Amino acid sequence: MKSARLLLALAVTAIGCSNDDGGGVGPDPLVISTPFDLTSMGRGPVPDRFTAELWVNGSTAYTTTWGTRTVNDVQARGNAVKIWDVSSATPVLVDSLIIEGATTLGDIQATADGKYLIVATESAGSIVIYDLQNPRRPALVTRFSNSDIDKGVHTAEVQPVGNKLYAFLCIDPRGSDKARLVIVDITDPSAPAMVFSQIMGTPFVHDVFVRDGILMTALWNDGIAIFDIGGGGRGGSVANPVQMGTAPIVGGKAHNIFWFRDQVTGIKRFAFVGEEGPGSIPSSSVGDVHVIDVTDMTNPREVAFYNVPGAGVHNFSADEERGILYAAYYNGGVRALSIRGDLGTCTADQKSSDGRCDLRKMNRELAKGPVGLSFPVYVWGVHFTDGKLYASDMLNGLFRLSTVPAF
Amino acid sequence: MQRLVFRVHFRVIAIAAMFIAARAQSQDPHAGHDMPADSAHGPVVAAGANGILLGTIASPGVNNRTLAEGYLTQPMVMAMLTSRGGHFVADLTLNFEGTSLKRGELNAGVHGEGYIDRRHPHTLVHELVGTGLFAAGPARLSITAGKGFVPFGTDDPMSRPFVKYPVNHHLAQLLERALISGAVASGPLLLEAALFNGDEPQDPYDLPNYDRIGDSWSARLTARGKGLEVQGSYAKVESPEHASGGGLDDRKLSASARYESNGRYALAEWARTEEGEGSATSFTFRSLLAEGSVDIGRVTVAVRGERSERPEHERGLNPFRTPQPHADLSIIGRTRWDILSASIAAPLPSYRKLRFSSFVEVSTQKPTSLTNPSVFIPEDFYGASRLWSFSFGARVGVGMKHKRMGRYGVAVSNKMEAPMAGMDMHHDMR
Repeated sequence: MKSARLLLALAVTAIGCSNDDGGGVGPDPLVISTPFDLTSMGRGPVPDRFTAELWVNGSTAYTTTWGTRTVNDVQARGNAVKIWDVSSATPVLVDSLIIEGATTLGDIQATADGKYLIVATESAGSIVIYDLQNPRRPALVTRFSNSDIDKGVHTAEVQPVGNKLYAFLCIDPRGSDKARLVIVDITDPSAPAMVFSQIMGTPFVHDVFVRDGILMTALWNDGIAIFDIGGGGRGGSVANPVQMGTAPIVGGKAHNIFWFRDQVTGIKRFAFVGEEGPGSIPSSSVGDVHVIDVTDMTNPREVAFYNVPGAGVHNFSADEERGILYAAYYNGGVRALSIRGDLGTCTADQKSSDGRCDLRKMNRELAKGPVGLSFPVYVWGVHFTDGKLYASDMLNGLFRLSTVPAF
Repeated sequence: MQRLVFRVHFRVIAIAAMFIAARAQSQDPHAGHDMPADSAHGPVVAAGANGILLGTIASPGVNNRTLAEGYLTQPMVMAMLTSRGGHFVADLTLNFEGTSLKRGELNAGVHGEGYIDRRHPHTLVHELVGTGLFAAGPARLSITAGKGFVPFGTDDPMSRPFVKYPVNHHLAQLLERALISGAVASGPLLLEAALFNGDEPQDPYDLPNYDRIGDSWSARLTARGKGLEVQGSYAKVESPEHASGGGLDDRKLSASARYESNGRYALAEWARTEEGEGSATSFTFRSLLAEGSVDIGRVTVAVRGERSERPEHERGLNPFRTPQPHADLSIIGRTRWDILSASIAAPLPSYRKLRFSSFVEVSTQKPTSLTNPSVFIPEDFYGASRLWSFSFGARVGVGMKHKRMGRYGVAVSNKMEAPMAGMDMHHDMR
């Protein structure tokens, strides 16, 4: 595997040196350029509730629920975690959890070692931690909240920093209480401890991305901010993040962020920011993917974007081996973008009027789906893992989608 | 402890306000009338208090359940100080719904400030403004500053025939803002303009965000004469839903014709609110409303028809509440409300200075989803496609009567005799 990566890296480097096509998809065999379809391989229906967040842990998937759905005069709240067997192409519902006092479950993620599941709750804000010794039967470890959190946990990102495990929580504004970022040490899952809390974002801090001791925050109209929390060489730590740089997002409304690390070359040049404009759930949406060059973290800058007419982006997941970003696009389904190579350099024809490169004009759009369905979708989230792609659809449940053909 | 201190503080305010009202009423030679008729001989204080004992049955209220509730609604103390010569007027209205109406009042279709299908309580300091009045040749001018009504749209529903609010309250009025406004009247024409803070109150004891004063503006042009009043107005309101800013902005339009004379009253209004960013519009909500009343002997009969649209937002564990502010800029649907209402009101015998009147209101509402697919499907949520509301109760008042709410200074009336003229408090809704 290592030698294969080395060969890929050498090839990418060599082709990258000779590729002067302005960042568009050229002859680079490592840049996926052949369009393909995202077809539904199987669907696990959820008719009783609206489906939202998604996490896949081996052969088990977890989906959260959102808001209130009424079916046959029965109102069901977004207080359920659906547990799926995804060992075959068609997800099979095997169990569910009900979290008391929640109207929406803001986020869900298993730890990288697969031992614990963390669920964020709204509008009574908390995080609920489950033991996954039996992944199909999560066992409650603890539920954590305090006065900084109880307004509602909109998103929760669980990542290790150093030798500790943290949950990075984006807290909803409520009344005169402004949105804030709260970081909780969950190294001991039975005894979470808040280590950082700060008002952030105008008017929201909506999501974060953590990698290699760097914290990136999506701050809505404040754009993004990058913090050293131990890996940036600025003396920052999780308890004392040191801001390294900020960047505005064209149009504002920075909703989520993903920092791409090319698993072949190790290059970490671009971060992708989802813009969430005002839509009408679950019928319309608006918002672009924004590409930020973070080579200089003290001076990040937007260099490219991707737009889908009539639809807006939501959550991301990536195939970092192949350089593909999968983006949930609400009523636009799922889109796959080729993100390897130089996205910030393009021809004049590939630029928008404000000088940014347009990924669509650069032929970076690879796929969309699910194709061939006879009913509308409103895709909230995607998760690519172990070569498989899953999508959570508010209206219809959990999809397993085809991915890029092997190359 | 903090809560206890607040409650004590609140009671002191309430008792003091009632005392002031009673004192002012006893000192006011025009007590029991609508306004001080003449302030040429010195400052005049007029004051009053009122409230409504209300019972409401909503069928269905939610999820096919009939709800029946009782309230003390619109409990208010009002005071008005008019300087010698009438060149300065101060208006104070304290609203105690923060205590009496904390859960909100059943009112299908109404929304705003974190409440839905219940009318939200208004803020304690509902109105505290000072107005200077001047004459400049044929024109009369006034400048108003304080917290109160923005010159936009139509009169506040509190000063109109029905106890139950129309759905279009947040489309057709702007209130409880810190503002500075100017008005100039000449002949039948009146032009008003104001700067104010865009943020809506977060709770009944919230104060305007003073750092946002001036981020929003409005203008209203009115022509009036012989009991008829026609207005058109525009408002640009920055981020009303997100007090810290950064939310969607409102562009609001209103046009109306109002007639009142000899026990007859009629109002027809159109309103439209566009929510968006910059020049881009994300959502549009429209309203058409017509209402009227007529005195038949001692009985007042009123009818109202309304078609208004509202946004839908995710509801909390309490189905009558929505997060405030919302966690993003999206909505979960748009609903059109078609409503027909009728009421009968009649005075009851007074007791000393206390005035009483009784009323009965009946209303039917038909909500229709305007988006498909939609998270909010009215038939599913309410358990019926048509809703009914039945309300009854008694108004209680003392001293100065409920005035027309929403205009200050020379905008209040077209009586041109003196700068002081124009504190028209005649709208006596029984």
